[in-house]
Amino acid sequence: MLSYIARRLAELVFVLAAVLVLAFAASRLMPGDPIGAMLSDRSGDAALEQRLRAEYGLDAPILQQFATYVRGVVRGEFGLSYRFVGVPVVEVLGDSLKISPLLALAALFVAVPLGVAAGALAALKHNRWADTSIMAVMIAGISVPNFASAAFLVYLLAVRLNALPVAGWGTAQQAALPVIVLALQPTAYIARLARTFMLEVLAQDYIRTARAKGMRERIVIFRHALPNILVPLLTTIGVIFGTLLTATFVVETVFNIPGLGRQAIQAIFARDYPVTVAVLLLFTFFYAGINLVVDLLYGVIDPRIRLEARR
Amino acid sequence: MGRISARLALAAATVLAAMSGAAEAKSLRLNITADPSQMDPITESELIAGDIIRNMYEDLAGIDKDGKVIPVLATEWQATDGGKTWRFKLRTGVKFQTGRELKATDVKRSFEALLTPALKPGASQVYLKDIVGAQDLLDGKATALAGVKVVDDTTVDITFNKPDVLFPIYPVRIFDTDVLTHGADWFLKESAGTGPFQFVEWKRGEAVRLKAFPGYWGGAPKIDEVAFLVVPNIETALSLYETKGLDLVEVPASGTRAVLKDSRYQNQTIQVPAAQITYLGMNQNLYAPFKDKRVREAISLAVDRDGFVKGILGGAGLPLYGSITPGVAGYAPVAKIPYDPQRAKKLLAEAGFPDGKGLPPIDIQATPVEKDSLAALADQFNKVLGMQVNVKVVERATYIKQLNAGEVAFFPWGWTADYPDALYFLSQLWDSRSPYDRVRWKNEDYNKLIDQAQGEPNAEARYKIYAQAEKIIVDDVGMAPLYVRTQIWLKQPNVKNVYLTPFRMLPYAKVEME
Amino acid sequence: MTTLEIAPPKESGEFRRRFLGNRNAVIGGTLVAIAVLTALFATALAPHSYTDTNMLLVWGDPDAEHWLGLDALGRDILSRILVGARVSLGVAAAVLTLTLAFGTAVGMVAAYLGGWIDTVAMRAADIILAFPELIFAILLAAVLGPGVVTVVLALAITWWPGIARLARSLVLSLRHEAFVEAAVASGTRPTAIMLRHFLPNIVAPLIVRASIGVGFIITAEATLSFLGLGVQEPTPSWGGMIRDGLTVLRTDPSLAISASTVLGVTILGFNLLGDGLRDLLDPRARDR
Repeated sequence: MLSYIARRLAELVFVLAAVLVLAFAASRLMPGDPIGAMLSDRSGDAALEQRLRAEYGLDAPILQQFATYVRGVVRGEFGLSYRFVGVPVVEVLGDSLKISPLLALAALFVAVPLGVAAGALAALKHNRWADTSIMAVMIAGISVPNFASAAFLVYLLAVRLNALPVAGWGTAQQAALPVIVLALQPTAYIARLARTFMLEVLAQDYIRTARAKGMRERIVIFRHALPNILVPLLTTIGVIFGTLLTATFVVETVFNIPGLGRQAIQAIFARDYPVTVAVLLLFTFFYAGINLVVDLLYGVIDPRIRLEARR
Repeated sequence: MGRISARLALAAATVLAAMSGAAEAKSLRLNITADPSQMDPITESELIAGDIIRNMYEDLAGIDKDGKVIPVLATEWQATDGGKTWRFKLRTGVKFQTGRELKATDVKRSFEALLTPALKPGASQVYLKDIVGAQDLLDGKATALAGVKVVDDTTVDITFNKPDVLFPIYPVRIFDTDVLTHGADWFLKESAGTGPFQFVEWKRGEAVRLKAFPGYWGGAPKIDEVAFLVVPNIETALSLYETKGLDLVEVPASGTRAVLKDSRYQNQTIQVPAAQITYLGMNQNLYAPFKDKRVREAISLAVDRDGFVKGILGGAGLPLYGSITPGVAGYAPVAKIPYDPQRAKKLLAEAGFPDGKGLPPIDIQATPVEKDSLAALADQFNKVLGMQVNVKVVERATYIKQLNAGEVAFFPWGWTADYPDALYFLSQLWDSRSPYDRVRWKNEDYNKLIDQAQGEPNAEARYKIYAQAEKIIVDDVGMAPLYVRTQIWLKQPNVKNVYLTPFRMLPYAKVEME
Repeated sequence: MTTLEIAPPKESGEFRRRFLGNRNAVIGGTLVAIAVLTALFATALAPHSYTDTNMLLVWGDPDAEHWLGLDALGRDILSRILVGARVSLGVAAAVLTLTLAFGTAVGMVAAYLGGWIDTVAMRAADIILAFPELIFAILLAAVLGPGVVTVVLALAITWWPGIARLARSLVLSLRHEAFVEAAVASGTRPTAIMLRHFLPNIVAPLIVRASIGVGFIITAEATLSFLGLGVQEPTPSWGGMIRDGLTVLRTDPSLAISASTVLGVTILGFNLLGDGLRDLLDPRARDR
């Protein structure tokens, strides 16, 4: 096990290093450059352009720029933002770092109970109309992209019913719509899995035995069946979190939330190299880190082994 | 979970407090569509930053609510040597927000900071380049600006390499350069100008807050705070405005229809044309048919300017027939260019392209923001002239680089005046020596008139030269003028003394809230 | 990613019967058929030209002439949505073809030749898979610049590793089969072995795996266009139409709502069909 973890950690370091190279290269390969973006309409001033380029170290050979950047990263320094002149990257990302995980967590808090409940209910009513309709809603939930569901919900709840604000960030009301939109796909995903796991569990001998013994249905479900689907569900958190991370890009853009996703998009558009590379590193670090943890969890608690033991 | 609900509760409480406290605290809240890119007078280079910084920092001169030039930090100025030297008398009793009093040396030191490459100076540097000795600073060969002489505490002489009659109205901020010793990120902690408001905080993605500067030379503001709230979405801004969460709303193009159509807003809108022209560029070097004036004229006549303003701009604009916008000093009305498809077709046929036959296909290009204009123009030229025009959307920085290099054949593009004089449009856009002559139109008579205007200190005489120059470019259809955008703002009835000029909002120094 | 165990149906009649018995497959298949037909005949079906602007009718409300109203340039929204189907499905088809061709080739070669070629190919796949897929596509689209071709490239580069991995594992499982060993022993050239022996045996699961991803590809294209990194004017894209429509949701909801509906229903169709196919072809799922 230990050597497995060590190997996975080494892989993680390799992947992050590769991502660093790739993200750096990608940022430099984008058409246009930050000096052009900064000067905007004034880029006819060739001398000013040259001076700024020198001041930002962008006139150095690309490999030298890369070396400088890597040296900074090793020391934990991510440089100064180009878009927010003179502001450190760490400070630019500081506030968004709190916002995006908060959003994702809030969405999980909505999605997990709702998804598990819907999935379990569908399994209990297997092949009856409740099952069919729940599953129909859930596959729709997975299918509709989040900006499209955002359009429906904003139109219905904010424009027609005037119940919630259209966009923005800072109040509970403003957080409601983005959290709902973010939660839709994970809810549907969890519900489908929960249904499958529940069907598997309900077919197990110990459940049949419990029922045969005349144990009350409620106790069978809540004491014996539900806890057994939570363990395998836990291992899918990685996939769900990955989806949520990506979804923040779009949802934060739609609802104008100053989180990491919107920062990334804006940094890409402004050719803010230091912020772009830092955000990409952060995202892949989160993503790879969570997948690592989940893979380790798989090793520790293989759901099938668990079920075998119970039998 | 507990932490989240606590945070949400806190947020809700803050909002409630802000709502109930608004009456006593007198905070003027307005929207900005994005975070500013800069917060200090040295690096300042874009519009949103300008809107904020203008409230903290001042220039030697400024404009009043009618767009007329008025003295600000200088009380009077006078040119000697035919405009090669300017003497400024400074206002006395002006305090910086740092506590120090404004002296003539501060003008010199501010200019020097703006010419120091290591400080990454932004837009205003270009206005100082012709001062004697400026190049030495830019090249790092000197640290003092030779062309600025401090005569006494309130008098300063500025000498130029060539006459510059408009120098006093250039936007160049004067500030207390002592703050440069407070660390590279000083502007995130304090401001050092002479303006009516001073810096409090900048929470990226949320707001920039300024508070009243009680020692302001023009009298302490009657409101306590100006809060620029980052609200990128006009729908959000409007719902905030309706619930009195915003006192002023700048309405972007995407929101003009919603606002102008809504009768509730009728008495609360302020509309003023922007000092910004939009023209259709036709580069004669890149597309041979453009060399024929009849082709250029046909294109100009094929543009339905009124329809464009009504459709694309949602009514928030005026058709443009010349090269100067109303409200800018030196503006005079010019003859209307009609929408005349028949004459356009006839001219095109005379030029040898009946129904567009024989015209090679051409791309019409601009940035993603202009995609609607591009699609509309392309369709109009296809339909009216039979010209095959394809839409090409290009990333902004790349596009502007190509424009400046004269590599774009056919494009709609705008130009915003930075200072209140029509010479800005005329000298930068169509003078073939300017790097911004993006259509690469060239006319020696025109260039001579520009030189003449730049050396003419008498305003009325100068304006006459402008009219002659404008006539040359318009008659030759060196470009096709398209439209002037109208700025639209919403203002709550209890807010008084807010002044919108062609150069955006005046500082909120005199605002009162009942 | 688990390998799909696929039991090819014995005869087509049997498959058809089971397909028609699967509600998901039938509904999904119908929706997909409608979408594909719409895409094929978009310009013929469209009541108006999708590029025809009219400044006097900007944001016109739906009426008998324009069933879904008009957009910011006075263009017929219905016509643009119909032509948008062509863009959406066209991009998906192109991406599918590219990923299948490239992913299969890389996977087969890596598995058969092994050694450093295998290592390099799989490391490259690992690095791409280390990014959340959509984020990698966004980055690529930003590098390549906007446009239909670059969207296809960006998405294909993002999606080939999954196919390559599957192809590789399928080939590895076949490598020591008797018929392969026999072919190698008789001196058949590697390319011939790959094309004649491996490819026919792995192509079915690969196609199923890829088609399950169509919904994701359509979503990804719409997302790129939504973010302004995808298809450009005047070519209509559902994602771009939703973005344009969101800004005027209060006054003119038709654009965003109709584009969202069509996009959602199309992806739903592909997902239902994918679910149905998986149920039909995956023997484990049949018992449930």
